[in-house]
Amino acid sequence: MRFIPACTCWVLILLVLFTAPAYAQTFNVSGYIKDASESGPLVGATVAVHEQNSGTITDAEGFYTLSLPPGKHTLEASYLGYQNTSRTITITNTDKKVNLILDAATNELTEVQVEAFSARQKLNDTRMGVEFLASRDAKLLPALMGEVDLMKVLQLKPGVQSGTEGSSGLFVRGGSADQNLVLLDNALLYNPSHLLGFFSTFNSDAVKSVELYKGGFPAEFGGRLSSVVDVRLQEGNYDEVKVSGGLGLISSRLTVEGPVAKDKASFIFSGRRTYLDVFTRMINKMEADNADFNPIPDYYFYDLNGKLTYKINKRDELSVSSYYGHDSFGFNDEDFRFGFDWGNRIANISWQHKFNSHFYMRTSANTTSYQYNISNKIDSYSLGLSSSIRDVGFKTDFDLLLSKEHSLKFGAMATRHAFSVGRVTYDSDDDTQDYGGGSNYKATEFGTYISDDYQVNALLSFNYGMRFSGFNSSGKTYLALEPRASAKYSLNENLSVKASYASMMQYLHLVSNSGASMPTDIWFPSTKGTKPQRSQQTSAGVNYIFGHGKYLFSNELYYKWMHRQIDFKDGANLFINDNLENEFLFGKGESYGNEIYLEKLKGRTTGWIGYTLSWAYRQFEGINGGRRFPTSFDRRHDLSIVLLHKLNKRLHLTAAFVYGTGNAYSLPVARFAFQDIEGDAATIVPIYADRNSFRLASYHRLDLGAVLKLKPKHGESDLTFSVYNVYNRRNPYFVYFEQVRNSDRDETLGFRAKQVSLFPVVPSVTYNFKF
Amino acid sequence: MKLKSYLYIILLLLFTACDRDKEIYIDLPAHTPQLVVECYLEPGQPFRLTVLESASYFASPDPPLVPDAKVFIMFKDQRVELTYKPGVNKLNNKFYTHTSSVLMTGEPGDIYTLEVTDNQGRKVTGTTTILPVVPIDTVEWRFSDDNEKAILITSFQDVASTANYYRYMANPYNLDTSPEQDEIHDDNLNNGKRISLNSSYEFNRNDTVVISLFNIEKQYYDFLNSAYSAKDANGNPFAQPTSIKSSVTGGIGIFTNLALDRKQIKLE
Repeated sequence: MRFIPACTCWVLILLVLFTAPAYAQTFNVSGYIKDASESGPLVGATVAVHEQNSGTITDAEGFYTLSLPPGKHTLEASYLGYQNTSRTITITNTDKKVNLILDAATNELTEVQVEAFSARQKLNDTRMGVEFLASRDAKLLPALMGEVDLMKVLQLKPGVQSGTEGSSGLFVRGGSADQNLVLLDNALLYNPSHLLGFFSTFNSDAVKSVELYKGGFPAEFGGRLSSVVDVRLQEGNYDEVKVSGGLGLISSRLTVEGPVAKDKASFIFSGRRTYLDVFTRMINKMEADNADFNPIPDYYFYDLNGKLTYKINKRDELSVSSYYGHDSFGFNDEDFRFGFDWGNRIANISWQHKFNSHFYMRTSANTTSYQYNISNKIDSYSLGLSSSIRDVGFKTDFDLLLSKEHSLKFGAMATRHAFSVGRVTYDSDDDTQDYGGGSNYKATEFGTYISDDYQVNALLSFNYGMRFSGFNSSGKTYLALEPRASAKYSLNENLSVKASYASMMQYLHLVSNSGASMPTDIWFPSTKGTKPQRSQQTSAGVNYIFGHGKYLFSNELYYKWMHRQIDFKDGANLFINDNLENEFLFGKGESYGNEIYLEKLKGRTTGWIGYTLSWAYRQFEGINGGRRFPTSFDRRHDLSIVLLHKLNKRLHLTAAFVYGTGNAYSLPVARFAFQDIEGDAATIVPIYADRNSFRLASYHRLDLGAVLKLKPKHGESDLTFSVYNVYNRRNPYFVYFEQVRNSDRDETLGFRAKQVSLFPVVPSVTYNFKF
Repeated sequence: MKLKSYLYIILLLLFTACDRDKEIYIDLPAHTPQLVVECYLEPGQPFRLTVLESASYFASPDPPLVPDAKVFIMFKDQRVELTYKPGVNKLNNKFYTHTSSVLMTGEPGDIYTLEVTDNQGRKVTGTTTILPVVPIDTVEWRFSDDNEKAILITSFQDVASTANYYRYMANPYNLDTSPEQDEIHDDNLNNGKRISLNSSYEFNRNDTVVISLFNIEKQYYDFLNSAYSAKDANGNPFAQPTSIKSSVTGGIGIFTNLALDRKQIKLE
């Protein structure tokens, strides 16, 4: 492992301390930005003081702090879909507290801006490679089977690939799906998908917003190489009890929220469940007497989210949030029972404390787990298979506003992991055949960091920091320094350039060679033989606002090196194997690309065009003869066009078009006949060429949607229409070769290639309500 | 009935998805044919072997024969040439291209070597070590509640001192089809223990079932595993393509021996 000299860290810290000037003639203005109707904080809202060319965005708690000189200033707060609010304040010689409330229109649709960052904020923020998405905006866009999925909306952003048709997995800047740090209210979520990845675990009613970091990672994040997906849950209403929900094609949702103590404490509980199994069970029952009928197995998933928030006093706030998700696939008859269950569980308790207006802290403790269980029983014999990972973690973060120029963040985290990998049991009721296998591992992961947001002047700013991380498992300890830095320079008030560098470590590895998100994917720790993965990413970009603030253009270039990547030997047994590490192969990867983004932010028609030109490769000694190969999600061209049009106060029309180069794919180039022991059983065995050396046909699709606000007697309601794949494009899901047979003469006539597509045109309608 | 139709339509809408395939044209790169050999030595049986060639996937389906292939099997101080004489073994319907009248008489531990050459200068070699038979202890069966279907439980004792690999087959005699049950196993989880292999309720009352337990070499286990994986990857979007782990060098294929214990039972 390569270490950056420890002195580098100290130099950074000293730099921060010594360059921090004494408090100039500035005072802090701080407060919360809240939603008028729900009283909840607005995350990522912008607070600007235009005459000072100064501004900031609210943090995860809706809190902001600005340093301003004495005098008269006008604060302007804005947030997507809300009316801007401004307040004029006078600063004399003390800090000031200013809370701002934003009104959201209730009975009519607001103008839509899918970016929560205002364009100006995006222009002036030192961070780069960040995408922000609010749940309320995602709900306007068309969705597969009407299931609103924030992950799939993020896939419409440049630099984010979707993998395969209908998948909610994210492949960010050439990284694989397991290289995303998915956080749900600060707690790690291990498997963010249901049903083979077709739906994400995030119920759009329970989630408030998602922030995706593609590069330039702040030092507070660590543990994955390629992205941070920071999901924030809604807070309950502090004033009154509200019920909302929806009835969809495959699932229904219900959310209840309200005050526990008015303006002090609130709750929110949200649940979602699919109901395909209700229909399949009815069909099975109706066909029970039909001997030719094969019963349809049961499948369903549900997830539950809950959050309690308690404002103890003006300085302290306590919140408890939890997630419970469960997928179940099962089959039962008299002689044979099969069950397959999987899911995540998360519980998180978080305490925020404000020492003063310059200094505050967030501390949280959480547990998270993911597990799958397969049970199979025939007669008196049963086979069980399971794997799990269970974490107990602690995290604390401090924000310290040293001066108008320097804002420090520092903190630490520690997690205890417990892995149970490939646990198999085989039992007979009479105990004559009982055996089992599997491996257990324990590991400790920790990280500590410090970073400084340094506003040199109105034009130039830096964010630089260092993360020190470590991991211990099976007597082996790994330590690493992860430097992070980004810089922004404003060429004029509408044009800024940015650059960033981030080094990331990943100590947990996903054991999966399916290419899709499978419930049986399991995590494996770094050990003596399996070193942690590491990446370095540099990026540079430009942001430009034009058309009187109506349009935002950005262009980012990135290059990412990935070291000690993991893949698996050909034919590896990843399922029941006590020596899983023997199946690992270690290699490297690289990816690079250019992401162009043009967004229309204002007017009746809004939306964006995102285009990515990119390359993503891996190289392993034991794969492909050691030659570099493209990853299956290497996509040369990727285009997304999203349009939202407000036809009138009650009707919104939306459209999304995507185009992507076909996935890289492995196909056999030759074959041989294999007779086996019995001559009758002769089959054709394919001989594969280089890994991913073919391309599937290009992928393109148009989705249309409409949201019609209804006028119920009480509350609000709407009908959301979606048409997925409007022109019924037969996008390739996979390709296979088959024999062309003359069954009458039992002879093979030849061979041909077949392409399988998944979703045809899929219309759906969802009814949503709130009262 | 109306409700039923409605439910079917909903299901159809959701799952039509899965049956949308069409023929496409794919331009495959040129393939240089390799020799493919398949040879299983069985105690008391004459040497028989198939030599064919691999072919580009969309080439003619006719098996590419290699009449000029010279085949030798060496053991102890003997070097036996197998002559090109295509035929079918009537016992198992297995096609072969090369044969010899010499019978396999090796004892466990004996080593046999294969050498195949042809006029193009291609050369395939392989080695196999004769394995002992692992006897089947017992075969039990139980009938389902309606007394029509049966499960089979076959038990045998694994040898603790060695890593063992097994192939297990159960053929219903009156069906004349490929095996109802055909599995390969290693002994990683039950080394030295009594191993029982179960079927599901897939055999019928009054079936005559032939049960075969092969004690196989690791190289045969690996070859079968890789061939199964390669076949599985063609048509399974979740499987990773696998290269074939041949037991021979210089080409593709398997050269091994079959140490077999066989039992025949009638399910009554």
